[in-house]
Amino acid sequence: MESYRKNIRVFLAFFGPTAGWLVLFFFVPLAIIWIYSFGENSSLTTIKTTWTLDNYKRLFEPEIIGLFWRSVWLSVVSTAICIVMAYPIAMVIATASRKAKPWLLLVIILPFWTNLLIRTYALLNILGTRGRLNDLLHWFWNMGHGALELVGLGSLLGEQFEPIVFLGTPGGVMIGLVYVYLPFAVLPIYSSLERLDRNYLEASLDLGASQWHTFRKILLPLSISGINTAAIITFIPLLGSFLIPNLLGRGQVDMIANVIERQFKSANDWPFGSALSLFLLYITFIILAIQSFAAMRKRNQENG
Amino acid sequence: MSEEPIISIRGVTKKFGSFTALKDISIDIRPGEIFALLGPSGCGKSTLLRIIAGLETATEGDILIAGQDMTDIPANKRPVNMVFQSYAVFPHMTVADNVAYGLKLEKRPKAEIEAKVSEALAQVHLSDFSHRMPDQLSGGQRQRVALARALVKRPRVLLLDEPLSALDAKLRDAMRLELVKLQETVGVSFVMVTHDQSEALAMADRVAVLNDGILRQLDTPAALYKTPCDRFVADFIGSINMFSVTGQAADGADAILSVRELHDIRLPTSRLPAVGGPLTIAVRPERVRVGDSPPDKDCCISAEGKLGDVAFQGNSSIVEIILEGGASIVALATESEADILMQAETGSPICAWWNSEDMLLLPDSAIPGND
Repeated sequence: MESYRKNIRVFLAFFGPTAGWLVLFFFVPLAIIWIYSFGENSSLTTIKTTWTLDNYKRLFEPEIIGLFWRSVWLSVVSTAICIVMAYPIAMVIATASRKAKPWLLLVIILPFWTNLLIRTYALLNILGTRGRLNDLLHWFWNMGHGALELVGLGSLLGEQFEPIVFLGTPGGVMIGLVYVYLPFAVLPIYSSLERLDRNYLEASLDLGASQWHTFRKILLPLSISGINTAAIITFIPLLGSFLIPNLLGRGQVDMIANVIERQFKSANDWPFGSALSLFLLYITFIILAIQSFAAMRKRNQENG
Repeated sequence: MSEEPIISIRGVTKKFGSFTALKDISIDIRPGEIFALLGPSGCGKSTLLRIIAGLETATEGDILIAGQDMTDIPANKRPVNMVFQSYAVFPHMTVADNVAYGLKLEKRPKAEIEAKVSEALAQVHLSDFSHRMPDQLSGGQRQRVALARALVKRPRVLLLDEPLSALDAKLRDAMRLELVKLQETVGVSFVMVTHDQSEALAMADRVAVLNDGILRQLDTPAALYKTPCDRFVADFIGSINMFSVTGQAADGADAILSVRELHDIRLPTSRLPAVGGPLTIAVRPERVRVGDSPPDKDCCISAEGKLGDVAFQGNSSIVEIILEGGASIVALATESEADILMQAETGSPICAWWNSEDMLLLPDSAIPGND
């Protein structure tokens, strides 16, 4: 680092392009949006910056609050499901043999090789009322119904198979969200488990602890940083997810990003769309701040 | 030995896939002794310790602790505790919580746990550190925490995996003494794994030397040094001069051994080891005398060569005698011998000799069928 500071040209050569890129394509657009959020539509295509706070006041309309609330709880629950599912997967990979490990990691990363849009359409095919998942459930229903009829309880499962409606419901959207963001949760947990000295677990067993006690008192606390990272890394993109609620929600399970998109397109209300975007950004910031503050306090506590 | 062994290792074999880490090991460990498993890295000694602890299962054979078969008893139910090489002191708990970890699992009353923890910490001189976190401790202090944490459970046997290898040289020497004293105080058996022969010799009451998963010799440190059973043990314990026997002939009750680097050696046949195979003659440096010529040619084995390096060591000196053909003999010269040698120039002719009785005759392996 010392040498970079000494030679300003080297510094510029390394950091200049990145910094320039960030300013041009991130900070400038962000500033424009920030200014728009204080503006009003003066005609169909022009926005007048009047420094009005109306756009922000509209955020507190019940409809918008409800939207935010739904986005947040969908994201929180999806994040929690992701982590609960990712932990055992990460543990299997971390304890796998050296030969199997790269293959297992490949399986986790494999979905990224296919475009999200295509994967989401595949989900549509699976989750539809006449989709593959309902086909499977129907098959199970037939089996169960047949078996029950033999013992004279044929009416227990109803007269006919009722397909479960996934599309357009929060449950269906959540299945999609968990599917897309699960790998993001697996990788940080895996890396924290991978780094963990196996001797800690053996020492716990050696001292008389059961496997479950060892998991609760040793493994979980020592991998909490991985869980934290996994939570942040999945929650933030989850909160702003667009494609999954758009396609799987069928307009009935909108999240923030869907409403933002509508402001910029069909509603043609850029100022309000900008205010919504910034509000999403602020929420993310606040959550991150709370999280790192909690982590800092925990560290301080540990150091006495 | 009339006393019942505290640990009985019976015919333990451990295989990892096609690799055999331990071959049919049988060892009895006595109550109250310090027992060392010694060997180069990869010899299987740590695996054996982990099998005793229950962290690894033997492919064949049994472990008995205090007469009880441990085959179906998991690690968390065995009356032994382990000090890991990395210490494995839980980084998210204070020193006191680390030591209390095992006691809390026994569901003892809180006051009793506290009393035992502070007693254990006092034993390892860490009373003032009970509220520290492990990352605020030095390596030596962390090791003491690991010791206290294991000993507070009152194990029948304390298992130590390379207990001193992570410490710096100075601390290591102090800790050797301290571990021996601690063992005397608490009275439980220690089974320690080490690759450092001087550590094993200095601390242990008995030492098992392992190589390639085979138990080579089990004896007291003095016996291992004086009467190693094979070439490997002799080479591994202390320093030694060794020469391969290239030919062997019988002459009445005597055997005549030819060694490329030395004159032929005549010995009574009774001194040859019982097992056949390649033979090595060996002599410890402190048994080798140096000077112009041996006082009595008949009872000695002598070799002429040139004076090599002389390393002064205070009351003795390490002298290298370079033989014709490039091989060398190392001698530990006494002060008076060294005084003379100091005046001689490097490369000047010199003679090394030793008594026939001081010479060891070693097979490549004392176990028939190996090597």
